Amino acid sequence: MNLNKIAIAGIPNCGKTTLFNELTGSRQKVGNWPGVTVEKVEGSMTFMGKKVTVIDLPGTNNLSPDTEDQKVAEKAIREQEHDLIINVVDASNLSRNLFLTKDLLARTPHVVVFLNMVDMAEQEGMRIDKAALAEELGVPVITVISVDAQSVKNAVSVLEKAIARDPEFLHNKKEASAFLNLSANDAYSRIDAICDKVITYSTKEKESLTDRIDKVVMNKYASIPIFFLSMLVTFWLAIGVGSIFIDFFDILAGLVFVDIPSQLLGLIGAPDWLTVFLAGGVGAGIQTVATFIPVVFFMFFTIAILEDIGYMARIGVVADRVMRKIGLPGSAFIPMVVGFGCTVPAVMAARTLGSKRDRYMTIFMAPFMSCGARLPVYALFAAALYGKSSGLVVFLIYLSGLMMAIFTGFLLKNSLFKGTPSYFVMDLPLYHTPKLSNILKSAWIRLKLFVRKAGAVVVIAVCILGVLSSMGFSDGKLTFGNEDSQESVLSYAGKALSPVFEPMGVSRDNWPASVALFTGLFAKEAIVGTVNALYSSMDMAESGAAAESEEDELDISGAVVEAFTSVGEGFVGVFGTLDILGVGLVTEEEEVIAEEIELDTAVFRHISRNFTPVSAFAYLLFVLMYFPCLAVVGAARQEMGGFYTVILVSYTTLLAWAVSTLFYQIAEGHHPVYGIAAAAVLGFLYLALVLLGKRGHDMKPAKGSAD
Amino acid sequence: MTTSITKLSEIPKGSQFIIKGFENQDSEYAEKLLKMGFVEGTVVERTSADISDPMVFSLRHCRVALRKKEAAEILVKTDM
Repeated sequence: MNLNKIAIAGIPNCGKTTLFNELTGSRQKVGNWPGVTVEKVEGSMTFMGKKVTVIDLPGTNNLSPDTEDQKVAEKAIREQEHDLIINVVDASNLSRNLFLTKDLLARTPHVVVFLNMVDMAEQEGMRIDKAALAEELGVPVITVISVDAQSVKNAVSVLEKAIARDPEFLHNKKEASAFLNLSANDAYSRIDAICDKVITYSTKEKESLTDRIDKVVMNKYASIPIFFLSMLVTFWLAIGVGSIFIDFFDILAGLVFVDIPSQLLGLIGAPDWLTVFLAGGVGAGIQTVATFIPVVFFMFFTIAILEDIGYMARIGVVADRVMRKIGLPGSAFIPMVVGFGCTVPAVMAARTLGSKRDRYMTIFMAPFMSCGARLPVYALFAAALYGKSSGLVVFLIYLSGLMMAIFTGFLLKNSLFKGTPSYFVMDLPLYHTPKLSNILKSAWIRLKLFVRKAGAVVVIAVCILGVLSSMGFSDGKLTFGNEDSQESVLSYAGKALSPVFEPMGVSRDNWPASVALFTGLFAKEAIVGTVNALYSSMDMAESGAAAESEEDELDISGAVVEAFTSVGEGFVGVFGTLDILGVGLVTEEEEVIAEEIELDTAVFRHISRNFTPVSAFAYLLFVLMYFPCLAVVGAARQEMGGFYTVILVSYTTLLAWAVSTLFYQIAEGHHPVYGIAAAAVLGFLYLALVLLGKRGHDMKPAKGSAD
Repeated sequence: MTTSITKLSEIPKGSQFIIKGFENQDSEYAEKLLKMGFVEGTVVERTSADISDPMVFSLRHCRVALRKKEAAEILVKTDM
């Protein structure tokens, strides 16, 4: 028999994804989150001496097309895109797992059961007779411990040998139709009969470890403090520890992709535009992506821990009481937690939710959770203007984001996404001891795919930006090398558009702040670099100095040393103060901040000259809410299609403008006209969403398609 | 027969009951839960986790959290 494609199927939390990661290593094409297998994920492995494709199907309880995940799985199986299905079965709750198995058996001829978590089952006091199970199901059963690399290897070699010995090994020995078209009641009575035959209960059931942990974690009083504590630790790890390595990646990537290439290009006498394109565009783009890597990695890492130990599902339970008020199940909170790290995986994580309405609503709320890329912007402005209360101000911004997410939820519930609020059913997996190698592997795979996907967008964006900021017109001639001067095309555009931002307190003279909002479209942390560069160029223009920046001497060893020292300093900074949220970044002295985010101290002078504390807060509110970065727009489009993505982008941007303006006009109240305009925009938004909600009839659950 | 029927949302912590059916057997909710094994005759236990809404139940060696209001849709009885 010819095996070219193997599909892996199983119910959520059965260890299917761990097995898939173990089998395929990092040879995957799409990112994979437990319970969030976004699409069917493909990888490859060597099986029986040749390369075969392995497809990871979304974890589903059955194959009825009730949810997006199940539709994907059902379609893949119906279209027979595989020669063999490995059905991962969690031995610790056999009957629920066999409910999917019977669906698989009814639909496809070649199934092999990988009986996983036998150790967990034994802890729960159950022993499963493998041979009897194989007999009952009519398909081979092989035991495996998916978290153990050696065990997975053994299981695969058992399968290879069995197939080599007997090509008929995989053929279903029972009539497939035995399980076809059974009602849930009948299916479970058959499954219960099988379970009775194959399971022996060794010990008397006592209170299991999971129940004992749940007693504390899901205690009436303790559950909420524990939830907040887990969030704090997540932040501290992702942002605090992650940011230790930002400079390291920034300096090294800058050296390798920007400084060295531009020096080399200069040596060989390459034309200016080529240097601009390669070093200033592509190189700077790669550098921008590289600075993302540590924070994103640690965010993925901590989220993998929360998932791996089984706490993530409990977060959904604790959050349900709040989420139900906006008509969402508690499980919708999980993507929002992910959003504190990065909005892109948050948008993708909305896939776990049953109904389209729930998914779209979650995607609309996720961008308001302040992601890691926005923190440097807050830190810069806070350091320049708020002194001792910097930490508080940044906290207020985060809180504003959370409140705007909730506001958005209420607004959408009554306008764009009317419809029946869904119910809440959440499986709570057994607690597992986390295994570091698995967590690292899963975080690494996600990081790689993230970098590949987001990287492409950011590199292209920075290229365009690099060219626009370099291109300029002097004496009617197109020139290059106008980076961050007032002559570049980008600066002209910023100046032209600055009146739009005037109502929220960005004066026309303060055009760099407007330009920065454009570079922020590509990635929000780009705002810091732009503001810094443009203010410095203003300085030069004022002092009459030549606009050309002096070439730095290339100092490779110096840069490398600096990169490594930055890690050491970072460790001292974060661990020395147990700095949660990287708050230290926003409370230190100006000079320290400037050094940490590599800015000229002049930028602080400019910020405090151009902004008042109130207008800066309005500006930060705008940065928090407006246009999610391009990578998010890409992800949103993939999940919701163009129509709703356009609404998302317009909604967030208009809301940002209205809220910032309203805040600024009320707090420093200069123009009642602007205040009224902002209120009018809010009114318009509501009206538009209501009208669009009437049009959006596809939101109403089609019969049998909503969860 | 002296079986008394109660709602799943009413049962005390640590107690075991047997599923009888749903208030509305044809609802989407019932359909989903049936597929998850909430079929007639299944033993269901409210675990010792004392969070009161959502509530945590255990059946078929799985723990499932349900909202109190929604658990009231499920009818249980004391014995077969």
